[in-house]
Amino acid sequence: MYTDFKGNKVYFSTGGINLVNDKETLCFVHGAGQNHYSFTQQIRYFVSQGYNVVAPDFPGHGFSEGNQTTSIEEDMLWLSELLAFLKIEKATFIGHSQGCLTILELAEKKPELVRGLVFVAGAMSIPVNDFLIDTSIDNPEKAYDLMVTWGQDNYGSFSISDWPGHNHLAEGNAVMKMNDSSVLTTDLKSCNLYDNGKQAASKIKINCLAVLAKFDMMTPLKKGLQMVENIKQCDYKILECGHFLPIEKPKELNALIKNYLNTLK
Amino acid sequence: MSEKYKFDTMSLHSGHVPDKETGSRAVPIYQTTSYVFKDTDEAAALYNMEIGGHLYTRISNPTIATLEQRLASLDGGVSCVACSSGMAAMHLVVTAICSSGDHIVASNKMYGANINLLQHTMTRFGIETAFVNPNNLEEIEKAIMPNTKLVFGEVIGNPGLNVMNVPEVAKICKKKNVPLAIDATFNTPYLMKPISYGANIVIHSLTKWIGGHGIAIGGAIINGGNFDWGNKEKFPTISGSHFALNGISFWEEFGPSALTAKIRAEGMYNFGPSLSPNNAFYILQGIETLSLRMKKHIENTKMILEFLKENEAVSWLRHPDLHDHPDHKIAKKILPLGSGSIIVFGIKGGRDAGKAFIENVKLSSHLANVGDAKTLLIHPGSTTHSHLSSEAMKMSGLTDDMIRLSVGLEDIEDIKIDFEKGFKAAAKISSKRS
Ligand SMILES: Cc1ncc(COP(=O)(O)O)c(C=O)c1O
Repeated sequence: MYTDFKGNKVYFSTGGINLVNDKETLCFVHGAGQNHYSFTQQIRYFVSQGYNVVAPDFPGHGFSEGNQTTSIEEDMLWLSELLAFLKIEKATFIGHSQGCLTILELAEKKPELVRGLVFVAGAMSIPVNDFLIDTSIDNPEKAYDLMVTWGQDNYGSFSISDWPGHNHLAEGNAVMKMNDSSVLTTDLKSCNLYDNGKQAASKIKINCLAVLAKFDMMTPLKKGLQMVENIKQCDYKILECGHFLPIEKPKELNALIKNYLNTLK
Repeated sequence: MSEKYKFDTMSLHSGHVPDKETGSRAVPIYQTTSYVFKDTDEAAALYNMEIGGHLYTRISNPTIATLEQRLASLDGGVSCVACSSGMAAMHLVVTAICSSGDHIVASNKMYGANINLLQHTMTRFGIETAFVNPNNLEEIEKAIMPNTKLVFGEVIGNPGLNVMNVPEVAKICKKKNVPLAIDATFNTPYLMKPISYGANIVIHSLTKWIGGHGIAIGGAIINGGNFDWGNKEKFPTISGSHFALNGISFWEEFGPSALTAKIRAEGMYNFGPSLSPNNAFYILQGIETLSLRMKKHIENTKMILEFLKENEAVSWLRHPDLHDHPDHKIAKKILPLGSGSIIVFGIKGGRDAGKAFIENVKLSSHLANVGDAKTLLIHPGSTTHSHLSSEAMKMSGLTDDMIRLSVGLEDIEDIKIDFEKGFKAAAKISSKRS
């Protein structure tokens, strides 16, 4: 769905239906260089489960226009303002990768907005090596290649998928190419700069869920587990896949989120 | 293009790992029409295409999905739909993109059924096609109208063997915001990947070299995921609301895979040209040796070209790897490993000599197919086009002395001996005439 927000055309996926006031809202927050297509196999599934879904494309990503946000703090502000604009008072946030940093920050700064938190392939900090940042400046398409190949385990690399006929590597690449070419660099820098994750995690009072990837080369499992340890109540599950978990293990992820949502009722 | 593994590895492994339950190393043949749902929730999710999985083999099947995922990875596409034949693939693409009142620009030098579909069948449904010379960039650009929704051509035309300048045509299509669909049957991804040159959709007849053994008819559509379908006025059934999934927009929900999602939800669902799981398995076996076979096809083609060049019974010889072929330059650029294993040549003595040649070869098979492991021949003048006069044949770019040869994998010396027998018989006719 398109809207005019802060003077720019902004897109947020709702799974193709209008938002309804009295339904609970799930907000899916995409990662670095991604857009709402990271959650193709979650968005419409949870709409059918009876939720409002909002999966925004951050500025410059996917179908959203406007100047990119340049830090996790700005990401968090933009998101909270968008939700206010859409008159959504409370939501469960599902973040993937950089999206996990955004929702950590949100949990600390705007706890009143948060009903639940699901961290997918996330961590409290995501340091990015200079090589990837430099490549994203000099040759964005090469950087997309690196990220999607690092982001899949062997299954994904061999285009093995429950989704008939899909080739995740090329698809991941095509999704990243839909964004403005400067987007990835800015996102990676935002990740690299962010250092408030540990503090934000330690302040979370609600029960959370972390779904981590055993073969994650972008946010290594070890770092995901450190985040789990720093949150007072965080259930976690490790899936046998790479970083792009929502695409590689959609059914498993959906079932875990569904169970978690039931615990919030 | 993101690839972790090289072509030969992908052609053996993409889309499959040993079966979790049985350890089966080979891809199992899931010979089933349908799949038991875990619960009603899952059933609804599958019907709505909210998650991946299988519900009915007309729409998808695990063996066929392995084939699709292997083809998508070999061609560098985001997703693939396999179907019952190359012609079914072509029909699915045209009907997914075009509606009554729309317009197509297509090569005038294509496989006969491709031309017939556009020229005679689609026109009945209000879809008009402008046929253009595939090597005339200016003509192609001029032919694109505001209602043009598709540009279509073959990398190597059948049977004329013209080579389309895919990278340049792709640039025109991009400028005009029209998707470029390419029939890549004659090259296979081993020789050339159209998506890497900017094409948006690839069509294969899997019946030919990809299957490679003349045992199964099949087709596939590979979606490059590199076309912006976002213009709702121009592509209303892809980016606008669509009935198939309760009024959603394929573009907004499936993005790069919008076209393949639409083909599955509408084309496979409502037309039903599904591949059989057994045929998917046979074709997968073929793909495992695609690069080995293509290397040998090309090697044999080179040797046969040398042989035919020297042969007195041959009046003319055409193959894009020959320097005198009008598209030799572009062929060298986009088909550096070779321009396929179809050769066309003329036999001295015209239609009757051609007939004598065909009737006197024994090892080479006289039949209506190409891309088998075995050497195949056809003489259009005495078969597919026998009802046409010499003049009428010329109009469709053929001559009555023309032989189409699909070079196989036999020992080339045996093929040469076989051809000599045919040439001898043809020479008798030709000398009687002169
Ligand atoms: C270039 C080309 N495209 C498409 C087809 C149609 O393929 P099928 O026979 O699998 O329908 C053929 C068949 O000869 C062909 O040569």
